[in-house]
Amino acid sequence: MTTQNPESGDSRRDQVIAGEYVLGVLSADDRRKVEARMVLDRAFAAMVDHWQSNLTSFDDTYEPIVPPPKVLATVERRLFAEQSTAAAVSAPTGFWNSLAVWRMLTLASVAALVTVATFSSGVLTPQNQTRPLVAELAGEGSATINLLAQYDAGSGALKVTPVAAKQAEAKSLELWLIEGDNPAKSLGILPQTGEGEIVIPQELRSKFGEGVTLAVSVEPFGGSPTGSATGPVVAVGKTRLP
Amino acid sequence: MATDDISKLIGRVSLKDRAAFSELYRLTSPKLFAICVRILRDRTEAEEALQEIYIKIWQRADRYASGETNPMSWLSAIARNHAIDHLRARKPVANTIDEAYDLADSAPDPERTAINTAEGRRIDNCMNELEADRADAVRKAYVEGLSYQELAEMFGTPLNTMRTWLRRSLLKLRECMER
Repeated sequence: MTTQNPESGDSRRDQVIAGEYVLGVLSADDRRKVEARMVLDRAFAAMVDHWQSNLTSFDDTYEPIVPPPKVLATVERRLFAEQSTAAAVSAPTGFWNSLAVWRMLTLASVAALVTVATFSSGVLTPQNQTRPLVAELAGEGSATINLLAQYDAGSGALKVTPVAAKQAEAKSLELWLIEGDNPAKSLGILPQTGEGEIVIPQELRSKFGEGVTLAVSVEPFGGSPTGSATGPVVAVGKTRLP
Repeated sequence: MATDDISKLIGRVSLKDRAAFSELYRLTSPKLFAICVRILRDRTEAEEALQEIYIKIWQRADRYASGETNPMSWLSAIARNHAIDHLRARKPVANTIDEAYDLADSAPDPERTAINTAEGRRIDNCMNELEADRADAVRKAYVEGLSYQELAEMFGTPLNTMRTWLRRSLLKLRECMER
């Protein structure tokens, strides 16, 4: 599969190869070639996606069959066997008021998040500039909160969804934008209810792009009195394209 | 099984929420297991494949772009791709994509085009524009993961004829969907 000229008959051939890939008739080697090209060639990846969404109505043919219970048990054992012991050790009480928990939270998870972001090969979700930016803001260990931030450049809305937010007692979570070595800029207070959106001030919208850091700190109720983060940073992550 | 619910569950799984993972499994594994059984035609292999598929789902949930892709379609694609990869590794087939493709121009039938445009461009309408046995071959390739060789045997055609059938059918489908 060499470079194809989209204006020539090669584009029809590409359409057929993309269709053959989704049908499943290609050899293992050819499937790997197609997947490699999908990573490098967005137009081609879009053809594959297009076939996938067109042919998915054939999935109705598959009549559901409940698998034996041992399958889920095996999957969970394989995925969670190691983590569950660690979680049992670190499960705290009074999360927000426990200094021990705050000390335990480090920025080490940033490296892990960046790895996750760059690992994505794009085979199933080729990169697309029109997608909203997302960042996963994770603390360390299962005792912390996890937040999913999604930024829509069109409306300027930043949607933050805590997944395992613990009780916040007379504390607020404040969201910060950190661009390079510049001082953190406050983006606002996260809604106490858990889920909500923060509309980013117009003057800060231009700062949103791939690779800026979003961080959440624990502040006195109502937000930082000084304008910069005073409490511990409980979660941090970089924006990336999903 | 509401699309929105599945979509939200995948979002929670991307944040490593185990309860959401169990729930996602409960709701979606019968469909994905059916895909494995149909393509692999072996229960034990299908069970092993299903394990690998849900491990991939746990690992790749962060790549799911909600709102752009139907979540069941996304999950089914992971299952089909895994099952087909397994099948092709077990029983290799010939490499073809670096060879010449016989893709004659296909002019759409004007009457059928009019009907199709009026009804929208759903794949089902476009499948109806194909000759019955060719449409059947396209569907069997997708649903059962059959190779060109298996399709040729099933339909009693030479291998190269089956390749030409399917490739021209794909082009006709693409042209029909884009009208």
